[in-house]
Amino acid sequence: MAEVILRNVTKRWGGFVAVRDQSLTVKDGEFMVLLGPSGCGKTTTMRMVAGLEEPTSGDILIGPNRVNDLPPRERDVAMVFQSYGLYPHMTVADNIGYPLKLRGVRGAERQRQIEAAAAKVELGDLLHRKPRELSGGQRQRVALARAIVRRPQVFLMDEPLSNLDAKLRVSTRAEIKHLQYELGVTTIYVTHDQIEAMTLAHRVAVMSQGEIRQLDTPEAIYDRPADLFVAGFIGSPPMNLVRGEHASGVFTAAGGLRAATRIAGHRGAAMLGIRPEDVTVAPAGAGDLDASVYAVELTGDSVLVTAQAGEARLIAKADRAWRAEPGTTIGLKLDATRLHLFDADTTRRLNPE
Amino acid sequence: MSPARRRKLLWQAVESAILLGALFLILFPILWMALTAFKRPVDLFGLTFLFTPTLDNFRAIFAHPWNIGHTLLNSFIVAAATVAISVPASTLAAYAFSRFELPFKGALFFTILATQFIPAVVVVLPFYLLFRDLGLLDTVYALIVVNLAIVTPFATWMLKGFLDAVPTESEEAALVDGATRLRVILDVVVPMIWPGVVVTAVFCFILTWNEFLFALILTRDDAVTLPVGITRFRTERGDLWELIAAAGILISIPMFLLASVIQRHFVRGMTGGAVK
Repeated sequence: MAEVILRNVTKRWGGFVAVRDQSLTVKDGEFMVLLGPSGCGKTTTMRMVAGLEEPTSGDILIGPNRVNDLPPRERDVAMVFQSYGLYPHMTVADNIGYPLKLRGVRGAERQRQIEAAAAKVELGDLLHRKPRELSGGQRQRVALARAIVRRPQVFLMDEPLSNLDAKLRVSTRAEIKHLQYELGVTTIYVTHDQIEAMTLAHRVAVMSQGEIRQLDTPEAIYDRPADLFVAGFIGSPPMNLVRGEHASGVFTAAGGLRAATRIAGHRGAAMLGIRPEDVTVAPAGAGDLDASVYAVELTGDSVLVTAQAGEARLIAKADRAWRAEPGTTIGLKLDATRLHLFDADTTRRLNPE
Repeated sequence: MSPARRRKLLWQAVESAILLGALFLILFPILWMALTAFKRPVDLFGLTFLFTPTLDNFRAIFAHPWNIGHTLLNSFIVAAATVAISVPASTLAAYAFSRFELPFKGALFFTILATQFIPAVVVVLPFYLLFRDLGLLDTVYALIVVNLAIVTPFATWMLKGFLDAVPTESEEAALVDGATRLRVILDVVVPMIWPGVVVTAVFCFILTWNEFLFALILTRDDAVTLPVGITRFRTERGDLWELIAAAGILISIPMFLLASVIQRHFVRGMTGGAVK
């Protein structure tokens, strides 16, 4: 088990910069999720840690050692791939045992460790099958067992759940979290799915265009997004963002929205953000602003109300019994303690002093 | 019978006739060779399928002065050695071309193919002089070297096609699991493209087995291979057709066997289950 440190790492392919001057410290035993849309450099970052890509510049450290010049086999990391990366001609047992075989673990001892790893991911009965005889979920378990069969310094997981169906994804997600908790191995996990990031991570690094936009705990990223990108990327349905003017601690937007922000120093164009669950529906005139119902969607545990206020369209989360016809005028109440303000030019978050 | 149906039947009849004609053109010479191989010289030019079969021709070609057994052995040695050297070498070359970023990769790869465009007659004399100076004329070593030069570029191209079709995730998994690059190739890559390796090896074997021009120029007695050996049955007494046919059967048998191997491996895909 070890710390992983990236120091000013850049990866370029010709003129394209995949990862830009990135620094990141993953603490010993930490579950770090790299989250971002496709093409943001998260997988490239992980592959550089694994040794499958070479950084153009910068240092990568695992524990106390700089590993830039080490081949993957000398880095003592284990990796789970999006498309499993199993060995199709080997049985499940041989797949799981391959890292042990390469390390000279023999006979009965190897068998014992294979069985222990297989038992941890509930694969015990399938050891003699070939990968092609397994379902997608079972194949990913084989890949997991192969990763945990030896105790590597670092686990690397590249979107391990994205080829599984929705139901299996939820249960496997919990299993991965439990495994990591049990083994306490430093883990870097790449995903574009914000739910996976929120549920699994100790800390999340939100990435975009080769840069880390915010690195923090899931709570902090959800409650205090550092910029507009993070604010829009995290949360489902996404945070409401309204364009307007900010001066003397008051935000105003066309359509009658006014909100006190407790931020004195800033004036100029700004974006006000508020999450749908922090917007409540009230009778017309009783809220912070009036809006006209655009659509009402029942999700099961709640109702999503989309309402038009001036040019802005806001989503509110209402009680699941709430109903209204489109066109009805309603009031919207914003939770003043949960407002987010962003500078419209820099896109950065503005914090109260 | 409706006109449409009648037209369809007519067309089918024409189709069948064409196919039967083509089949006859291809199979009849083989059948004729097979029959001739078992005929006595007196039956040779009788256009009949009724004759007393004999194994005398096969006995004759294996006996003095023809000693076809030695020729057969030469053919086997040359073909087997060529395959044994060229297939592993081409696998490594094709892997490098398929997976690595190399300077001038495209030009290099094309050059490999370009060597195949040179007509054999252009290089056969330089080869003759070369091997004469090296004292390797009329040895299987010379033939192996020449056949390697013919077969290896071909095998590299063929194997690269198979390698390009295999996803790289399993290889990367093996690298991270602790394997060296060579180990990855042996443990993971080769098993995944095994059908391709077998098919390539078979093609290389057939190419070498049938090679005529170089064998004709570079050998005289000791290292003569079957295709050249057959020409010896054209003697001053005339063409010994019954012996030519018997030797023809010997040449063809490995081809028939290998064709069935190819068929089996072409059908089966080995990569199922590696990735989603």
